[in-house]
Amino acid sequence: MILTGFSQKDRKARETLALSVIRLVAGGFLAILALIVGYLAWRGLGAISWEFLSQFPRDSMTAGGIWPAILGTFWLAVGAMLVAIPLGFGTAIYLSDYARPGPLLTIIRLGVNNLAGVPSVVFGLYGLAVFVGFMGFGRSLLSGCLTLGALTLPTVTAAAEEALRQTPASFREAALALGANRWQAIRQVILPAALPGMLTGAILALGRAAGETAPIVFTASAALTLAPPESMFSESMALPTHIFNLATNGSHIAATLPRQFGTCLTLIVLVLGLSLIAIILRARLRKGRKW
Amino acid sequence: MVDDGPIISARDVNFFYGAFHALRGVSLDIRANQVTALIGPSGCGKSTFLKLLNRMNDFTPGARLSGEILVAGRSIYGQDSDPVSIRRLVGMVFQRPNPFPKSIYDNICYGPRLIGAKKKAELDALVEKALRAAALWDDVKDKLGKSALELSGGQQQRVCIARALALEPEILLMDEPTSALDPIATAKVEEWIKSSGMSIVIVTHNMQQAGRVSDYTAFFYMGELVEFGPTMDIFTRPREERTENYITGRFG
Amino acid sequence: MGQALLLRPKLSPTEKGARLFFLICALVALGQMLLIMVFLLGEAAGLFKTTSLWDFLFSSQWYPTYDPPEFGAAALIVGSLAVTFLSSLIAAPVGLCLAVFLACLAGRWREWIKPAVELMAGIPSVVLGFLGLVVVAPFMREVLDLPTGLNILNASVILALMAIPSIASLGEDALTAVPREIQDASYALGATRWETIWRVTIPAAMSGLSTAVILGLGRALGETLVVLMVAGGAARIPGSLFDSARPLTATLAAEMGETAIGSPHYHALFALGVVLFLLTLAFNLLAHWLGQKWRKR
Repeated sequence: MILTGFSQKDRKARETLALSVIRLVAGGFLAILALIVGYLAWRGLGAISWEFLSQFPRDSMTAGGIWPAILGTFWLAVGAMLVAIPLGFGTAIYLSDYARPGPLLTIIRLGVNNLAGVPSVVFGLYGLAVFVGFMGFGRSLLSGCLTLGALTLPTVTAAAEEALRQTPASFREAALALGANRWQAIRQVILPAALPGMLTGAILALGRAAGETAPIVFTASAALTLAPPESMFSESMALPTHIFNLATNGSHIAATLPRQFGTCLTLIVLVLGLSLIAIILRARLRKGRKW
Repeated sequence: MVDDGPIISARDVNFFYGAFHALRGVSLDIRANQVTALIGPSGCGKSTFLKLLNRMNDFTPGARLSGEILVAGRSIYGQDSDPVSIRRLVGMVFQRPNPFPKSIYDNICYGPRLIGAKKKAELDALVEKALRAAALWDDVKDKLGKSALELSGGQQQRVCIARALALEPEILLMDEPTSALDPIATAKVEEWIKSSGMSIVIVTHNMQQAGRVSDYTAFFYMGELVEFGPTMDIFTRPREERTENYITGRFG
Repeated sequence: MGQALLLRPKLSPTEKGARLFFLICALVALGQMLLIMVFLLGEAAGLFKTTSLWDFLFSSQWYPTYDPPEFGAAALIVGSLAVTFLSSLIAAPVGLCLAVFLACLAGRWREWIKPAVELMAGIPSVVLGFLGLVVVAPFMREVLDLPTGLNILNASVILALMAIPSIASLGEDALTAVPREIQDASYALGATRWETIWRVTIPAAMSGLSTAVILGLGRALGETLVVLMVAGGAARIPGSLFDSARPLTATLAAEMGETAIGSPHYHALFALGVVLFLLTLAFNLLAHWLGQKWRKR
C-alpha cells in the first residue's frame, strides 16, 4: 500500500463551501433580475393607461402619450426584418446548401461572423454615412430600417443556418435520389422542415432590433413628431430614443419621470414578449421534432 | 487462487427507476479475489446491479432501492455510509474508454490527488505501479506527459484501468469493458483480467468472454437473478432452463 | 451512355436562377462588412489631414468644438477599456457561477431558469441605462457621499448586469457539452460533486468558457447607451472608481447628432469608430483564437 491514511473531513467542508458560494451568487443574481423586472413593472404600471398608449405627447411631453413612439418602433422593427429576413435566409441557404469549401466560403463566413461583433453604434455611423448621407435618404424610417436590418443580418443568418444544418442529411439525399434538383430539394423538403427554426431566430432578432437605440439615434429618430410618419422618408419617434430623450435631454426631467418608467415598461413588454414567443416556439419545436 | 469468502453480499435487493421494477429480490454473494461475470440479455438488470455496487445509480432521478448491499462487511446504503469513500474502495471501468482530456500521468494521479497525495516521488511510484498492473507501462513509460486521448482505444481502456487501480481499490467493477475495442485490444484486456488476482465483477454480453475470464457467473433475466455458480457449472450443466436457453443462444 | 455520365449535369433555368440568387444574397451580406470598413476608413481618413495619428491616439486633449479643435482620443480609449475591465471583474465570476449553477446544480429548475436568463439578456440597454440613472446613481450618491453617482463604477455595474446573462448562457452550453462519461469516471474514482466540477468539467469546458467571457466583454465594450447615460461623460483619464469617464461609444452617440457632415469633428468621430471597430474585432479574434487553442489540447 502506497496510499495510506487520509481525511475526508476538509474535502467535505470544501465541497459544502464551494457549492454554497455558487448557489448564493447565482441565486443572488437571479433575485436582482427579478427585483429589476418587478420594480420596472411596479413603477411602469402606474403610468400606463389607454391615453398613455394611444395619444401624442402634449405640454413639453409632460402629458399625453407615446403612440407615435410605439408606431415608430413597430415600423422600424418590421422594416428591419423586411431587409434582414430575405438577405439572411438567402445567405444561410447559400452557406448551408450551395457553397463549396474554398476561399469564397471562408471569406463570406469570416465577414458574417465579424459583422456580428460590430458594436451597434458603429452600425449607426455606417447608416449615417451610407444611407443618410451617401444614398441621400436623409434621417428617415427608411435609413433606420436599413441600418437595423444590417445590424440584425448576422443574427438572422446564423440562426437560419443553424436551423438548416439541423435538418438531417437524409432529407436532402432522399429528395435528390428521387430526381429533384437542388432547388426543388430545398424548396419542397428542406425549407419546410427548417423554416420554423429559422423564423424563431428572426423573431429573436426582431426583439433585439426593437430595443436598439444607438443605431437609430442619428439615422431615423426625431425627439417629437406631432403626426404619424407620412412615408418611409419621414423621421419618426421610437420607444428607446424616447426614453433616452426624456431621461437626459428633456426640459422637465423630474416631471416626466413616471412616463419614463411607463415607456420603459412598454418597451420591455414589447421586446421580452417577442423573445418569449421565440423561446416558447423553440421549446415546442425541440419537443415536437420527430427526427 | 485463494478463495476468501464473500467481499460483496447483496440481500434481497429491489431497485426501481420510477415505476419500472428493474431488479427483483436479488441476493448474491461475490467472492473475494475471484472474477465474477454478470450475464444476461440487454435490459435484464445486470448493469443496473453493477452500478449499485459503487452507488453510481445515485445520480439517476427517481431511483429507489430496498434491501441491503454489504461491501467488505459494511452496508453501503446504510445511514452513515458515504458514496465518495465507497467509490474509493470499489473502482469502476466503463463501457467506452473515458480518459480525461489530460496527460496519461495526470489521469492516473487524479484519484490519489483527490485524497491528498502530493509528493512527486509518491505519485511517480503510484503511476508506475498502476501502469505496470494494467500491463501498459512498457507502452507508455516514455510519453507519460502526452494526452491520454492520443492513445489507441485499447490503450485508453488500460489507462482507465490503471487510473482505477491507482486508488488501490479492493474491488474493480467493469461494465462491458471491451465492447468498444477491437479483438486484439480485447484480448489484452481479458488477459489482464485473468492474471490480476483482484476481486472483479464484470458485466458482459459476450458469452465467450464470460467463459474465458470468469471464475463465477451470475445469469440475470428480467430483473431477476436466475442462477449463480462456478462458471464451469453454469456453462456445462445449468440447473435452470432459462439459463440453458440463453447460453445456447435461443434468446438474447 | 458512358460518356454522358461524365458530363456536368445540365442545370435547369430555375436551378441556375436559384443558385445565383442565393449567391447574391451572400455577397450582399459580405458587402455590408466591406462597406462598413470602407466607409469608416474613408470618412476617418479626413481627420489625418489636420491631426497626426500619434496625437489622435496618445493625446488626451479632446476639445472638438474649440478653435482650433483638438482631437486627442486617449482619454476616450482609456475610458472604454476602464469600464470594460471593471465590468469584467464583476461579470466574469458571477456569469461563470451562474453557468456552473445552471449546468451542474440546478437540476429540474434548469429548464425554467435558463430561458429566464436568456430573456433577461434581451432587456434593451437603454432601459438598464435608465435604471443606472434613476436608481443606482442616487443610491451611490447617498451611500458613498459623492457629488454625483454618474461614474465608472456605476457604468461597470450596469454593464456587468448586461454581460452576465450572455456569459452564463454561453458558458452553460459549454459545460453541458462536456461528455457525461468523463464526469462519471471522476465520480467512480471517489471524487465529490465539487471536485468533479472543478477538476474535470470546468477544465474540459475551458475553451467554451473563455470564449463566453470574451464575447460578453466584447458586448460591454461596444455597448453605448449604458455608458452614455451613467458614465458621467468627462473626457478625462479616470483616476478612481468614482471618476466619470467618456468611453468611445458614448462620445460617438453624444456628439454625432450635433456635427455637420464632412466637418473635421465628423471625421474625428469616424476615426473613433475605427478604433472601436478594431478593438471589438480584436476581442472577437481573441475569443476565436482561445476557442481553437483549448480545443487542440
